[in-house]
Amino acid sequence: MEDYKFLFKVVLVGNAGVGKTCLVRRFTQGLFPPGQGATIGVDFMIKTVEVDGEKVKLQIWDTAGQERFRSITQSYYRSAHALILVYDISCQPTFDCLPDWLREIEEYANNKVLRILVGNKTDREDREIPRHIGEDFAQRHGMYFLETSAKEAENVERLFMEIAVELMEQAKCKELPKYDGSLGPINGKTTSVGDSGCCLRS
Amino acid sequence: MSLSLLLEKYDVSTEEGLQKALSEIEKEETEVDEALSGALSRACVLEGRLRSASQAYTKLGEVKADAQEAANMVDRTAALAKDVSAKVRQLDLARSRVAECQRRVHDLIDLQLCSAGVEAAIKAHDYETGAGHVARFLSMDPGSVAAARARGAADPRDAMAKAADTLRDHLVRKFEEAARKDDAASVERLFKLFPQIGRAEEGVELLAKYLAAQAEVTIRRASVVSDANSDAAVFADALTRVLEAAAAAVERCRSAAALHAPGLLPRAVHIIQPTVCSGARRVYRELVSRRRVQPGHAARAPLSALAAEPTLVELALAHNTISLYFTFLRRKTEADASSLNDAAKKASKDAIEKIIAECDLMRAAQDLLGHYLALERYFLEENVNKALKMATPQTGATQSSLVDDIFFIARKAIRRAVSTGSLEGVCAVLNDAGALVERGAAALRRWLRAPQDVLPLPPPPTLHTPSAAGVLDAAGSLAARLNRDVDAQRDLFLAHTNETEAGGEWSERLAAEACAEADVLVRSDSDRDKLQSCAAGLAAAAAAYRAAHELALDGIKAALKPRVVAWAEYIADPGVEPEEMEEDADALPIALDTLLESARTQLSSRSTEAVLLALLADLAARAEARILHHHYDREGGLVVERRARRLASWAGGNIPGARERVSRLTQGAALLALERLAHLQDVLAPACRLPPNLVRDILARRTDFKIEDIKRLKF
Ligand SMILES: Nc1nc2c(ncn2[C@@H]2O[C@H](COP(=O)(O)OP(=O)(O)OP(=O)(O)O)[C@@H](O)[C@H]2O)c(=O)[nH]1
Ligand SMILES: [Mg+2]
Repeated sequence: MEDYKFLFKVVLVGNAGVGKTCLVRRFTQGLFPPGQGATIGVDFMIKTVEVDGEKVKLQIWDTAGQERFRSITQSYYRSAHALILVYDISCQPTFDCLPDWLREIEEYANNKVLRILVGNKTDREDREIPRHIGEDFAQRHGMYFLETSAKEAENVERLFMEIAVELMEQAKCKELPKYDGSLGPINGKTTSVGDSGCCLRS
Repeated sequence: MSLSLLLEKYDVSTEEGLQKALSEIEKEETEVDEALSGALSRACVLEGRLRSASQAYTKLGEVKADAQEAANMVDRTAALAKDVSAKVRQLDLARSRVAECQRRVHDLIDLQLCSAGVEAAIKAHDYETGAGHVARFLSMDPGSVAAARARGAADPRDAMAKAADTLRDHLVRKFEEAARKDDAASVERLFKLFPQIGRAEEGVELLAKYLAAQAEVTIRRASVVSDANSDAAVFADALTRVLEAAAAAVERCRSAAALHAPGLLPRAVHIIQPTVCSGARRVYRELVSRRRVQPGHAARAPLSALAAEPTLVELALAHNTISLYFTFLRRKTEADASSLNDAAKKASKDAIEKIIAECDLMRAAQDLLGHYLALERYFLEENVNKALKMATPQTGATQSSLVDDIFFIARKAIRRAVSTGSLEGVCAVLNDAGALVERGAAALRRWLRAPQDVLPLPPPPTLHTPSAAGVLDAAGSLAARLNRDVDAQRDLFLAHTNETEAGGEWSERLAAEACAEADVLVRSDSDRDKLQSCAAGLAAAAAAYRAAHELALDGIKAALKPRVVAWAEYIADPGVEPEEMEEDADALPIALDTLLESARTQLSSRSTEAVLLALLADLAARAEARILHHHYDREGGLVVERRARRLASWAGGNIPGARERVSRLTQGAALLALERLAHLQDVLAPACRLPPNLVRDILARRTDFKIEDIKRLKF
């Protein structure tokens, strides 16, 4: 078995071009990729972080925003522990689509999933959505809120670290949905999944 | 001899002494005289030698002068030789310059000939010769032309370049003519000339255009689906035909260009591909509208899960055909560039990847996959819903095939996903299948309520004191008689129990199978990680089934509990008539045989063992506790001991590892059967399994043992 105590699945969704891939690559590889192409289907990356001296493995699923990949991306919602919904603060339409995204989440995701709203590209001068508008929206829909810039590495580390911390707390309080017990390798031992089963100990 | 010695030797004070000394002196004087005359006689010999030596010295001076002269001469010779070799070098240089001049003169003459030759060849329609001249021009040393110009001559290249251009124009015109006439032989012949005149790219483009035009006709014909309402995969077939025509065109281009213009295949594909894309798009549009797979399509809803199957197969097939075509393009491009250097190979690879990524056919493939996945999810959901509905427990139902049904569906969907040729598709279907498989586990969990007499454990023979358990049993059997559904309920419960176990095994098998089957689609490590991570969703479902299975077994154990309580009481009961002793000790093994036999036919051997192990441990613990509620004489103790021993041997004979579970009881019963306290060690050897206090407590149940004796025991 690998050396980690918790494993969480984090899924990023949101319109095409809002910077999901850039956020993930900033966090996992520490760079801002020039000329990042649109994501095809779903990309998968892993990063292990440390929270309170414990190893936490984050499985990050970066989905394509383009409409025609929707059937692929929808299949990833269910097993997510955290969903990051991203919009572009300099692009009103990406904000206007948020209700549609929430409907998707409602339909496909577990209702206990941790949901975070992220307004990306704060480095841009042509902001269209003021911070408080985003904040309001998040509050109304029971989501965490954060503004980031993948380009300037602002709040990116914090975004993922806070997710790790929050999920770990939930796991410790046995609040996580029941299916998480066994995200290890297929043939590996899986923890029990009873009513009480929740912690992602592996 | 010195004087002082003489004076010492001889006494000179005496005449005789003086005389002796004198004679001695005289003797010495003669010796000295003799030596002196000897030396004088040798002096003239020495003088002679000295003379000849001084003569030799003068001769040496002459020799030295001679040697000096010789050295000077050697020096002069060396300088001369150096001079000569420099001259030879200059000569060589001059000769090579002459050769170069000759070559250039030849080149210039050729150049003149070439430009004239090209024109002549064009006039004669002898393009091969013309191209040969141009090829000669292109292979010429650029220095020749520069040299000619340096002398102020008109640039001889101008004429040649003009001629080459004319030839190129002619070739293009001729090529287009041949293409129009579909004169394949001429096309091929003319195509070969382009690389010779340094225009390989243009030739490949012309050829590709020609092939694209040709393919367009074939593709147009191939994309027509005559029997659009057929249930057969007619659209996928049409797509296959279209892409086969495309592949044929690409291959023709590659084989024509392989020798003369390698590495240019992407250029050709770039020209052919739009034709292919539009043909495929036509088929795609027809497919989507006829098969009603457009999302939100009004007519979609009535499409039953059953009716969806042929469409799913067709969509998967269509997608796979496109994947295969792309694989074909990649492979052919690689082969085409195989003779080039690494940089050119990479450029070629990048170029084809870009074409593939950006072409409309790729978008069509992505759309197809999207439709396929949406429909596959619908298929899975509908079928699982149906399976759940059918499996919902109803009065009288005794069988369930929920797990079989669910895994049959899931496996079918996963295999179909593999047949799309898309790993992305397989991953998505694995995710969806995992969710649905887990629904099966959740349903079973809800339904699992163990009926009271789920497995038959006959009650103990009625003892002289009717126990509470006996009353319960009577009530139970009354209920059984009254309620004819009880049997059915029991059978269904057992069927569900087995399903939970099978579900766990199935989930893992399905996950492993999916990973193995989709392995051909894995192209990188991250692909593999992704696949395994999605397959792990099924492993999570396995855990859910296993949890449900545990729950079911707990239910069975709980249902058996009243009987276990009764049997525990029975074991501990001291009262039995001596003539019934044999029969009495056999009662429990017989009852357990009944249970075991029934469990074996209705449960898996693993479940059977789990249930019986738990039951035996429970029974032994309870019996041990009951002993402390009775009083025994030796007879009574022997009865209990006999029962316990029978139980242990039954356990050891039937269930692996079960004898251990009842060993404490056996030892406790043996204590009850002691003849005398002094024999205690015989019972406790080789190991005491009971805590010392309990040993004393049990012994205290014997009415004939004295408390003080028991207290005094050391062990
Ligand atoms: N100025 C600025 N540009 C950004 C930032 N993040 C992303 N971009 C740019 O936005 C464009 C899209 O970024 P991606 O990360 O590819 O967007 P995406 O959400 O992954 O898009 P899809 O994969 O199509 O769903 C790229 O040109 C990025 O350079 C940011 O923080 N600031
Ligand atoms: Mg992306």
